[in-house]
Amino acid sequence: MAVTELRVLGDPDPEPSGEPKLANYPDWESVYQDNVVGIYQLVFRRVGNAADAEDLAEEVLMQTLKTLRLPAPVPTVRAYLVKTARTVMADHWRRHYAARDAANELEQLPIEIIANPDAVDRAQRLLGLLPDHFRNILELRFLRGYSVREAANELGVTESNARVLQFRALRKAAELEREVLR
Amino acid sequence: MKESADRVARFVDELLRGRRPHRFEATQEEAEAMQAAASLSAGRVGADVPDNAALERIHQRIAEALDESSVVDRRFSRRAWLRTAGAAAAAVVVGVGLDEVIRSRQESGGSGNTATLLPDNGSWRPVAAVTQIPAGHAMPVSTATLDAVIINDGGTFTAVSGVCTHLGCKLQPDDANRKLDCPCHQTAFSWSGKVLYYRLQAAPANLPRIPSRVNNGQVELYIV
Repeated sequence: MAVTELRVLGDPDPEPSGEPKLANYPDWESVYQDNVVGIYQLVFRRVGNAADAEDLAEEVLMQTLKTLRLPAPVPTVRAYLVKTARTVMADHWRRHYAARDAANELEQLPIEIIANPDAVDRAQRLLGLLPDHFRNILELRFLRGYSVREAANELGVTESNARVLQFRALRKAAELEREVLR
Repeated sequence: MKESADRVARFVDELLRGRRPHRFEATQEEAEAMQAAASLSAGRVGADVPDNAALERIHQRIAEALDESSVVDRRFSRRAWLRTAGAAAAAVVVGVGLDEVIRSRQESGGSGNTATLLPDNGSWRPVAAVTQIPAGHAMPVSTATLDAVIINDGGTFTAVSGVCTHLGCKLQPDDANRKLDCPCHQTAFSWSGKVLYYRLQAAPANLPRIPSRVNNGQVELYIV
């Protein structure tokens, strides 16, 4: 397996630490302790909710721990975790939303893209790329927590039009994410 | 278009309310929009930080499936040793001026080690009235020599260091979730001082315990 040194499952800009880095994971507990938060966040970025993220993070860790023989080098385990996460997330979209094409596309993404942990930065960049009318509705909904009705009032449109505007804005965001951010 | 917009709007509503979204057969366009919605939902500050209960559930289910937890808990590994050494380093961070850090012991039910700070030349010093800390609450206290957190867990008082073992940031109690949060790097500790989660390359050390007792209505710590 081609192993990439992945920093994604820890602090993206780590402070110096007095504790030496592990070279190998000796047991499943050490794999869990070192990666569970990173895997949860990686999965959350693709499902957007805590309940699914919890289930899928568990599935990723479980599959990895049942497959890999420990002790194993840290980069090997992390690369395996991210690859497993990619497959598990693609299966989620296939199984629950029949989204075959979207799932296949997700499965083809390089693991460096899958592993990128900074969801806040990515969302900000994505919003910044959108035309004003699309950015406005998504900022009201996602950043300010407005309901469709409140967003419609703010924008001076009907609720039905606000839902259509939101759908178009999300499709444009998906297009930009695919073309620019991946 | 309207039907797709309505289905995706419902999906977004569920994400923003923190609910598990309903399942349905989505078109390609809907699925793309929903994936973008998931990405934006994760981009809300703090949205993708797992709560302690979720991490505990995941840990429990993996432990049950692998059926190794009892073996791991009994093991005093090199990593556990490093954590204990980290606790000694924490004593320096809090500026206690300890002559030694002694007595490291296994916590029941956990895999990490927690050191107890026992200073030479220490004495029992009152730091808070029992009535100041209702059951189910944690209260930070500061003395001339250290920061600590006093915990009242159902009438039993304990104390741990009040600063994070990573860089010494002061911990903030989250009573609802029975944990202590470090505001600097999204690290959290249980009331017993055990690391619950962190966003660092290596796990920080568990919080050292500080000997405590109740005497004449006062919570006392054994400190210099």
